[in-house]
Amino acid sequence: MRDLRRFLKRFRNLVTRRRNDERLQEEIEEHIALQTAENVKAGLPPAEARRQAMLKFGAVEAIKEEYRDQTGLPLVESLLYDTRYALRRLRKSPSFTITVVLTLALGIGATTSIFTLFYDVLLKSLTVANPGELYRLGKQARCCYWGGYSQENEYSLVSYDLYKHFRDHTQGFAELAAFQASDPLFGVQRSGGTESAQSYPGEFVSGNYFAMFGISAYAGRLLTSTDDQLGSPAVAVMSYRLWQQYGSDPSIVGSVFHIDNTPFTIVGIAPPSFFGDTLRSDPPDFFLPLNSETLVPQADAGDLNQADQYWLDLIGRIKPGAEPTSIEAQMRVELKQWLLSHQSEMSANDRAKLPEQTLFLRPGGSGITSMRAEYEHWLQILMMVSAFVLLIVCANVANLMFVRGMQRRRETSLSVALGAHPSRLVRQALTESILLSLAGGMTSLVIAFAGTHLILFLAFPSARGGAGLPIQASPSMPVLSFAFCVSLVAAVAFGVAPAWMTTRVDPMEALRGASRSTARTGALPRKMLVVFQAALSLVLLAASGLLTAAVHRLESQRFGFLQEQRTIVRIDPGLVDYQPNQFTILYDRIRASLSTIPGVAAAAICQYSPLSGNNWSSSVWLDGRPAPGPDEDNVENMVYWDRVTPGYFSAIGTQIIEGRSISEEDTATSQQVAVINEAFAKKYFNKENPIGQYFGRPELGSSRNYKIVGVVQDARYLDFDFDKPIVPFFFLAEAQHDVVAKTGADSNPGSHHLHDIILVARPGATVSAAEIRQAISSVDPRLPIESIGTLGEQVSNQFRQQRMIAKLSSFFGMLSLVLASIGLYGVTSYNVGQRTAEIGVCLVLGATPAQVAALVVRRALALVAVGLAVGFPLVLAVGKFLGSQLYGLSPYDPAATLLAILTLSFSTLVAAFIPALRASRISPSEALRAE
Amino acid sequence: MKRKTDVPQGTLALMILKTLDVLGPLHGYGIARRIEQISRDVLAVNQGTLYPVLLKLEQEGSIVSEYGASENNRRARFYRLTRDGRKQLQTELRDWEQTAGIIGRFFELKAKDLS
Repeated sequence: MRDLRRFLKRFRNLVTRRRNDERLQEEIEEHIALQTAENVKAGLPPAEARRQAMLKFGAVEAIKEEYRDQTGLPLVESLLYDTRYALRRLRKSPSFTITVVLTLALGIGATTSIFTLFYDVLLKSLTVANPGELYRLGKQARCCYWGGYSQENEYSLVSYDLYKHFRDHTQGFAELAAFQASDPLFGVQRSGGTESAQSYPGEFVSGNYFAMFGISAYAGRLLTSTDDQLGSPAVAVMSYRLWQQYGSDPSIVGSVFHIDNTPFTIVGIAPPSFFGDTLRSDPPDFFLPLNSETLVPQADAGDLNQADQYWLDLIGRIKPGAEPTSIEAQMRVELKQWLLSHQSEMSANDRAKLPEQTLFLRPGGSGITSMRAEYEHWLQILMMVSAFVLLIVCANVANLMFVRGMQRRRETSLSVALGAHPSRLVRQALTESILLSLAGGMTSLVIAFAGTHLILFLAFPSARGGAGLPIQASPSMPVLSFAFCVSLVAAVAFGVAPAWMTTRVDPMEALRGASRSTARTGALPRKMLVVFQAALSLVLLAASGLLTAAVHRLESQRFGFLQEQRTIVRIDPGLVDYQPNQFTILYDRIRASLSTIPGVAAAAICQYSPLSGNNWSSSVWLDGRPAPGPDEDNVENMVYWDRVTPGYFSAIGTQIIEGRSISEEDTATSQQVAVINEAFAKKYFNKENPIGQYFGRPELGSSRNYKIVGVVQDARYLDFDFDKPIVPFFFLAEAQHDVVAKTGADSNPGSHHLHDIILVARPGATVSAAEIRQAISSVDPRLPIESIGTLGEQVSNQFRQQRMIAKLSSFFGMLSLVLASIGLYGVTSYNVGQRTAEIGVCLVLGATPAQVAALVVRRALALVAVGLAVGFPLVLAVGKFLGSQLYGLSPYDPAATLLAILTLSFSTLVAAFIPALRASRISPSEALRAE
Repeated sequence: MKRKTDVPQGTLALMILKTLDVLGPLHGYGIARRIEQISRDVLAVNQGTLYPVLLKLEQEGSIVSEYGASENNRRARFYRLTRDGRKQLQTELRDWEQTAGIIGRFFELKAKDLS
């Protein structure tokens, strides 16, 4: 309390710049006068009396100083003085200041922009009320459907029936909401509008979805439980972003939109900060109640009323004080109960797996985090790379600070000679570093903002100018404080050593008046900094080489299909009300119509084209062998399949190895056939000839569904597992329908909604989008065209992330190379300057200019050679680390490493050559006169 | 010549407070003189060191100062104890006695006391 009172008084004095000097002077005079008077009374002569009084009082100046320190806050005052002093000095050398600030801004900016992404993607919570109370089902995000009564490892997706079971029985949740795990596109058209339908992302959510998140409408109202009942009027909530696209028109609320040809009334607009439950690059624009799924039978949603169709994710808000672990335990019991109640509908395999079925609850404040898993490695690598760049920047700036410290040696030694305290000198130097760093940090925000924009653009070019992205390029509070902290740390990193060096001066030097010292102070640390920079640049260059090589390898791998001249037209026949038996005719007419376009060589249609992101899977049952048991009925033994029209393999450019392709002779009434790939043949038939063999699918209840008529070369269809061999795959004829043995029903009517048309142009010919649209709408104008793009784009989009990382790390590598070269140039030219006299003597003694230049270059190269030697093991370590993180990357790539070494050596030569040239041009007489 | 002892910092503040407590408002010189008298010249206060301590006590609110006329009719700054200061004096006095008592007992310690 007393201390506080005292501090406030002193603080006030500091601010008002009040000095009590006069008051003290008065008191001292009064004191001495009184003492003198007393001494006179005691019999001393006046002069002596005054002298004695002064003696008794003590050292006046020392007391005045102590008094002054007591008045204000000396620490703050000296800090202010130091700051003012540093600012003045920085103003005096603008080129130094600007160089340092810009260099720092580059380093801090790079780190900050990566951190912005890192924070938004990996650390941020959803913008909802109390995200800490949210828990989600599932350790891992699982996309997007699952069937049957067992799930691998854990139950993480639920059906509507299971959701209701959990919702109605789990006491610990205040609200438990379910929402669609996949992210489908809907064909949307405003009622009364003239435009054609456009596709927008949307999802089905339970009525309490918004209540669970605790968010309220921006306009109108959000969904409630009454909206999510069978027979309720069809309503939907629109995202703020889409509403903005409609010009923030208030009449949108209450108006009718046709979503997949079903009229929905928009009841409200979600708040701007809400991007849905999942962090993704195309957040939903429409939220529809789960029960309206029956109105909009989506091919890629599950069936609402099927208990064993799992297509929903769960997030719940727990009641305050509830224990998530006990809720988890309770839900496990509920899951068992629910499974037991469905025991009669289970397959034998599912029944065998029942005891091991379990589930996990995890904190859900960040929503469903599949994007995290996808980007985590990349962002960590980028974060590391940018940290390396920052280190190099710090080393560079430290070097400049050293030079500056050297130039100030005389001044410093004079200060020391006059009695300056070393700690004060260090503080002064550090103040300068911190000021520089903060200026750099502030400038870096501009760079970071631009950098983040650029990265987002590279990563998500399709994301409507970034408006729909849940990632903000503009710096948020955590990002600002991150930049601030990084600046401070950097200041200490580059400032401490030079500051400490300044205190190691010999005061005698100032008195000797030697402005050019022969002392080697600071030479070693500066050399070490250059070595350090060279080592780090080598690592960065080598790493970027490895990444670039990896991307190149991914893109140029054998895909098993041809990309040239091929266009993919994406349609959605599921949105038009065709009868199941009309599809074959429809596809025939589309192919015929497209073939009439001049320049089109061939057209075929398949359900999912290679690397389109979707695939059906199933287990297989080979004829003559036992049905797959519980151990085989799992993900590892999954076989993928696709449904195609005749002419498909020649259109996509996959070679037939044996037998025949799927052709016009495979009709609804003929023998059901399949074409398998080499991997399938190898796995299930080994050396046997597969042609003519039969196999079936356990869920259809037969081992003789399909007769194998052909084997095709392996082709990559899955957009994951690029590091693994191509998996077994089979192709079915579009015209033939799967029939469940027991019921005689078509088991997969949805698989006849073929999505991708492959259009092959003749060499040299181009086919315009307008021609394609015209040809398709001449068949059926209602048929929505989702997109038209080349197969090459579809493939290269798969590697966009990898390419971006490779580009960014190459950029960082170049940046570090430039910085390291500048650092080396600085050291070399400083040394040349220091040794002018020595070089002059050499020249006088008969050394040729070429020898002098060689001497300088040799020294610089020696430094870099040490750097390379230090960096090389690091390169191996980083390569090993990257290899463990990323597929397609070979950890030891001699070509990439050699290239990095050569690049670094070359730029070293250039950097050292300029000062060497200067050294060789030194005039001996001038050099000696300078001495 | 008498050996003079330096005054430890905190003690000087205590002495000032006690002096003001007993004698009422005094100017700086007066305080210095009294301390000298009471300590019978054993304590050689470098008299000037008194003033920073007075400033500190004033900032803490233990004493206040105002102008008055000194013995030789000059304007002088007089210091007076506040209520806070009196309270502080009492606490510190108690603490001091406690410490002095303990130290005293230790000095009187003999081997047989602990056997």
